[in-house]
Amino acid sequence: MDQLSRRQLLAGAGAAAAAMALAACGQDDEGKTDDLSGNRDGAMASYGAGEQFRATTALSFPIMLLSSASYPYKADWLFWSELTKRTNVTLEPVVVPGSDYNQKRSVMISGGAAPLIIPKTYHPDEEAYIAGGAILPVSDYTELMPNFKQQISTWNLKNDLDAYRQADGKFYLLPGLHEDVWLDYSIAVRTDVLQQLGLQIPQTYDELATVLRAMKTAHPDIYPMTDRWNNPTPGGNLLGNLSAAYGTLAGWDYQNATWDPTAGKFVFTGSMAPFKAMLQYLNTLITDKLLDPETFTQQDDAARQKFASGKAFVMSCNAQTLVNELRKDIAKIPGATVVKIPRLTGPLGNVKQATSRLENGVLISRKAKDSKNFVAMLQFIDWLYYSDAGKLFAKWGIEGTTYTGNLDSGIKLAPDVNWGGLNPTGTKNLQVDYGFFNGVFAYGGSTKYLNSQFTTEERKFQEVMNARKTLPLPPAHPLNADEREQATLWETALKDHVTQQSLKFILGQRPFTDWDTYTNELKGKNMTQYIDLVNKAYERFKKSNG
Amino acid sequence: MRRSRGERVFTACNAVFLTGVVVLTLYPFVNIVARSLSAEHAIRTGQVNLRPLGFNLTTYRVVLSDSVFWTDYGNTVLYTAVSTAVSMVLTVCYAYVLSRRDVKGRGVLVGVAVFTMFFTGGLIPNYVLVSALGLRNSVWAIALPNAINVFNLLVMKSFFESLPVELQEAAAVDGLGTYGMLVRIVLPLSKAMVATMVLFYAVAFWNSWFPAFLYLDRAELFPVTIYLRNLIAGATAGTDQNAASDTALQIAANIQAVTIVLTVLPIMLVYPFIQRYFVRGLMLGAVKG
Repeated sequence: MDQLSRRQLLAGAGAAAAAMALAACGQDDEGKTDDLSGNRDGAMASYGAGEQFRATTALSFPIMLLSSASYPYKADWLFWSELTKRTNVTLEPVVVPGSDYNQKRSVMISGGAAPLIIPKTYHPDEEAYIAGGAILPVSDYTELMPNFKQQISTWNLKNDLDAYRQADGKFYLLPGLHEDVWLDYSIAVRTDVLQQLGLQIPQTYDELATVLRAMKTAHPDIYPMTDRWNNPTPGGNLLGNLSAAYGTLAGWDYQNATWDPTAGKFVFTGSMAPFKAMLQYLNTLITDKLLDPETFTQQDDAARQKFASGKAFVMSCNAQTLVNELRKDIAKIPGATVVKIPRLTGPLGNVKQATSRLENGVLISRKAKDSKNFVAMLQFIDWLYYSDAGKLFAKWGIEGTTYTGNLDSGIKLAPDVNWGGLNPTGTKNLQVDYGFFNGVFAYGGSTKYLNSQFTTEERKFQEVMNARKTLPLPPAHPLNADEREQATLWETALKDHVTQQSLKFILGQRPFTDWDTYTNELKGKNMTQYIDLVNKAYERFKKSNG
Repeated sequence: MRRSRGERVFTACNAVFLTGVVVLTLYPFVNIVARSLSAEHAIRTGQVNLRPLGFNLTTYRVVLSDSVFWTDYGNTVLYTAVSTAVSMVLTVCYAYVLSRRDVKGRGVLVGVAVFTMFFTGGLIPNYVLVSALGLRNSVWAIALPNAINVFNLLVMKSFFESLPVELQEAAAVDGLGTYGMLVRIVLPLSKAMVATMVLFYAVAFWNSWFPAFLYLDRAELFPVTIYLRNLIAGATAGTDQNAASDTALQIAANIQAVTIVLTVLPIMLVYPFIQRYFVRGLMLGAVKG
């Protein structure tokens, strides 16, 4: 046979990619590639973690700059001049309105006109540009970035980073790194009602049920708990938080495959025992009329109105909606107070769910590699985005000018500077007037660094959350191209069925005696094949990766 | 002149019907103006109808007191003026040539224009082309790539064709050349159409943001449409932890309404000045008919 069919070609390509991925995953000699002796102009001869970077000659690098609507780009920001003073590097921004940043980034990269530094890119957006060859596989050059390397190892981020690797075993995005998992969403509780009824703030979901029961007894005509955030998944936050406490995945966090550490393999989420237990818990709340049956279908505003008019005392919130919405909404009710309580715990105990600790980051144009200042550029990026001094500068500015103190003793804004309501009497805005705390430069970092931006109330919430043990991420199980295509066909149908039937179980429209029938329905939608596929990919990755 | 009963009934029905049309047309706009002047709470709860509730000018104040807004407004005026002028010159010249029956290869010229209505180079090739021509970060990147709107061109061509050929022949006998005929005979007879085209082009350039967004990399060059678009996106995204103030919430509530008022107002003010050409053009046709 002379000609290969298209299917065969595809299969061949997939196999080749997989083989490459396997081969690449095995190698661990990143950062020892080319000879860079011609690219060291302006670079520091010895630059190490924790050192101040300063270019040996004045340099300038073009950078794509997202201009936020809340603090539009200004050329005279103190940030720019001070950055040049400290590093001898001038950034030349290509200003892009934040409203359409991604589109312009795509056009510029594809049109070959992209600046050397392209920040504010969220994984997996970078994957669209890799085939075009315009983006540098930055994993080859991490040797030049000591702060980045150090954080990856001290914060144990290797697993997180593995998820960003491509079929060639390289990663192209320099992500923002978090020391710890940061959780913001939880539930809000009317504390004045608790006080009236002599109740404590609940700590577990069982205690929540007890509290709701007491509320129901005192106010028999209402549902004490209602909820919002039903988009794109019904009960997005409620189910998400609850599933974390039960050791499964639901709501916003739903995925078809959940890692079962005791069995040492992936199991199907919608049919696992903890998932059922979670649905039973919610079903109890519904049958006892503790949870509003409209919880999973109503619009956010409807839920807010119930909370505002005292027809519900418990509902989901985050730090922002607590202050901006709930507190304002209940202002009309005399004596009403509301707090965001630490996430409730469940059968899994005092633990914190596993989520990636990486966030948006920086792409580097491949043409930067040909620049004689390439090494200096990477050192500069490493300093600004990953060193303690660079991060502190990007977020809080200049000590004595925009802030006083330090991360250990606490950051205090200068008397005339305000940010996020931390210093309401300040007349100048740290972002608008000075250019610091810019989302393009200041994100990620250590827990201390993150905490420095919170109000006392939110910091207390974070302290409780951080005291919990973070569960490990599920092991990597990258699918190859063929498997990916097949899995996509199955995933949506499975997910839709789980979502629909979950609601029926919760609302009592389907009895739990039907659970086996339900599991069989999932089997009819290729649940078993799907999980086998995922486990196969996991075994393969484990074998090749040690 | 006494009018018959039937005529009077017709006039009455006409008046009612047209008033209905006016109300239907004006209602959304009045609602937008009312929203732009209302307080956040009233807007959020959907109480604002035709009158502003809880009169509030915060959003206007914030937008209008921003120097960037005025810089960008200036840019918009400049881009609209330059682009409209360029477009009109090119479109008139092209259309006039196409309207002359004595020009050989007219069909090819029409075909070239019409071809671009159905086939475009695509976003990235256009971007590469404009970059290679060195037009980026200048007004020409906005004015030149979209200078001729083929639809406008064809309308203009038909209009020129409808003018009597004899007029031009007489002018030729009196010694006018091609350009003389265009400038002294054809254009003065086409004021209504020219006014319409100026309006079409001006409104299009006034509202356009995409070419500017694509080809301009420096903030001080942006037109006001980009400024406002960014503001809307920022206000509606609402995930910005830092924008927690009352001002931000007020802006989020009615930035869209304020934006509409601010961008529509100037172009609306142009209409009364152009309107007389419409009226005159209408009568021109009536007399000839």
